[in-house]
Amino acid sequence: MIAGVNRFLVPRFPAVNERARTVEAVAAGVSAAGASALARTARAGTGVAVDGLRVRFGAREVVHGVTVGFHAHRVTALIGPTGCGKTTVLRALNRLHDGRPGVHISGSVRIGDEEVYDPRADVRDLRRRIGMLFQRPNPFPLSIRENIALAARIHGLWSRQDAAERTEAILREVGLWEAVRDRLGQAPFLLSGGQQQLLCLARALAVEPDVLLLDEPTSSLDPGTTARIEELISALRDKMTIIIVTHNLQQARRVADEVCLLLDGEVVEQAPADRFFQAPADERSRAYVDGRVG
Amino acid sequence: MRARQRGSAAVRAAAAGWPGRRRRLADADLSRADRILRTVLLVGTAVPALVLLFITAEMVLSALPALIYAGGDFFTHQLFTFGNLYATGQSVAHGVRAPLGASYGAAPFIIGTIASSAVALVIAVPVSVGAVLALVELVPRPVQPALSVFLELLAGIPSVAYGFWGVLYFGPAMAQHLYPVLTRLGVVLPFMRGPVGAGEGLLTTGFILAVMIIPIIASTTRELVRTVPALAREGALALGMTRYETLRAVTLPYIRSGILAASILGWARAIGETMAVLMISGDLLNTLPANIYSPFSSIAATIVDLLDSALTDPTGMAVHALAAIGVVLLVISLASNLVGRLLIRRVALGALPVGRGI
Ligand SMILES: Nc1ncnc2c1ncn2[C@@H]1O[C@H](COP(=O)(O)OP(=O)(O)OP(=O)(O)O)[C@@H](O)[C@H]1O
Ligand SMILES: [Mg+2]
Repeated sequence: MIAGVNRFLVPRFPAVNERARTVEAVAAGVSAAGASALARTARAGTGVAVDGLRVRFGAREVVHGVTVGFHAHRVTALIGPTGCGKTTVLRALNRLHDGRPGVHISGSVRIGDEEVYDPRADVRDLRRRIGMLFQRPNPFPLSIRENIALAARIHGLWSRQDAAERTEAILREVGLWEAVRDRLGQAPFLLSGGQQQLLCLARALAVEPDVLLLDEPTSSLDPGTTARIEELISALRDKMTIIIVTHNLQQARRVADEVCLLLDGEVVEQAPADRFFQAPADERSRAYVDGRVG
Repeated sequence: MRARQRGSAAVRAAAAGWPGRRRRLADADLSRADRILRTVLLVGTAVPALVLLFITAEMVLSALPALIYAGGDFFTHQLFTFGNLYATGQSVAHGVRAPLGASYGAAPFIIGTIASSAVALVIAVPVSVGAVLALVELVPRPVQPALSVFLELLAGIPSVAYGFWGVLYFGPAMAQHLYPVLTRLGVVLPFMRGPVGAGEGLLTTGFILAVMIIPIIASTTRELVRTVPALAREGALALGMTRYETLRAVTLPYIRSGILAASILGWARAIGETMAVLMISGDLLNTLPANIYSPFSSIAATIVDLLDSALTDPTGMAVHALAAIGVVLLVISLASNLVGRLLIRRVALGALPVGRGI
């Protein structure tokens, strides 16, 4: 059953795992709904497909062959008990494990039709296309203005001339403009934690990502800012693929279209959110939702 | 009534805050052993402060006659001489008697001390920071400690060894090969113009002092780099910024004021360095350095150099004069240390904020 779900959700990638099956071939073998979902992913070109992902820290394998698809224009909640490997999976998607000693990664991650772990891949551009919000806010020790504009300028998206205008637009979008308009030149550390997190979100949005990774983005925030970020997630769905790690099942119910449960580094179930919460297919999902696991 | 009194006492104690409670704890609740320990600790804490106070007071008292004699000339005049120690006449200034012809102008020492240390800083700061960043960014993590050991070893070389090497080999070699090339910078920087001399002077001393303070600045910088939260750097990497861009956007701003503080500590070390400077400076008295290659003399080196002859002054004024320049050194050094420490404290507080406030 689980395998079935994953097969229709996830295209397989010949170049990496040598299971020579194309998107079309997989699509042909699945239901109409599955095929159209897949077609949408393929057309938008920004879905994320993870196949057989294994992550090992030294001798200890933490993620054991995760296969999961994240559809474009959908919000997928990645849930699971602490230590099950959610953050590890997330960080594998934008190659944030790169250069860390002792980390070994195998398997395939595709964003759109590009293999993330292709040795010829442009890691900088990949990371630009995959925005990330961390569990705790981590603004740069630069002015608020620079926090927003720096990466966008580095990637050549903003020029010096339009930076001010676009900074304002993005700060308005995340609802931070009124709070910071008078102190754009100041360091961000005087902002509240929630404001800092919104600033980091604005910073991520400034480089126009196709995919947004959110690692428990609201776990340390007040209800107001949490609601604000959830609103933004829903609004951003039209523009990008969103993956959110959360321990808060209520939050998953509120924002997610899809839910993926991870237990001990393995995917237990991936399903549309309604179905997952009402009638989980796997006994372990039921147990987790009922609070009997983790 | 009694109850009300007790109540108001409690309120008063609460209003006064902790002291009331602390006093009770200190006096009544402490065991004998605790009280002995407290006394020992108090004495231990007081000793450094007392020593510092005592030395400063002694130096200032000893310096006063010479300072009064010289007046404002102390800071502006270039002539520093104990006068004719065997003459019968005396010079009198501002009501203070000194050997005939005595003059205590300390300008060359003060300027020499500051200039040589400044040259050392200009060389040492970029080298230390560059070396540490290269070490952290380029060298594989397992190898880093091995390379760091060299920094510590560098700090352990006695300054007389530096002096010996500097005056016999390093200085002459520099004067022969490097300095003539540097004189070309004289077009834009007048103090870089020749003549370059034989290798004893400001620039050579600056180089040697730089090598001596690099371990201080570098090891502080290394600790600073370690305090930069990985989370902050990953924020930059996740935006598709390169390691170099991350360095500029995150690491450097984080450690900037810390580097400033480390530099001030290095500077404080450089101005007090004696032996190496005495050997390499060229020990030129009574003249301001003409360019960056000129011989000069520093306060510390001069004190060592002239103490013997100062002791033969029957009026004692020569010793007072040396004490006076010693006070200047003490003041510069204490002030630098203080500023450095204040800055470091501010940095330690400032390094936290990523992820703080939630
Ligand atoms: N850099 C690392 N080196 C070694 N082990 C690691 C490293 N990072 C994570 N792990 C281990 O991998 C496992 C999964 O960690 P991960 O951070 O992915 O969990 P998580 O699902 O995000 O948990 P949480 O919900 O608490 O954030 C944990 O057992 C953790 O100890
Ligand atoms: Mg996590």
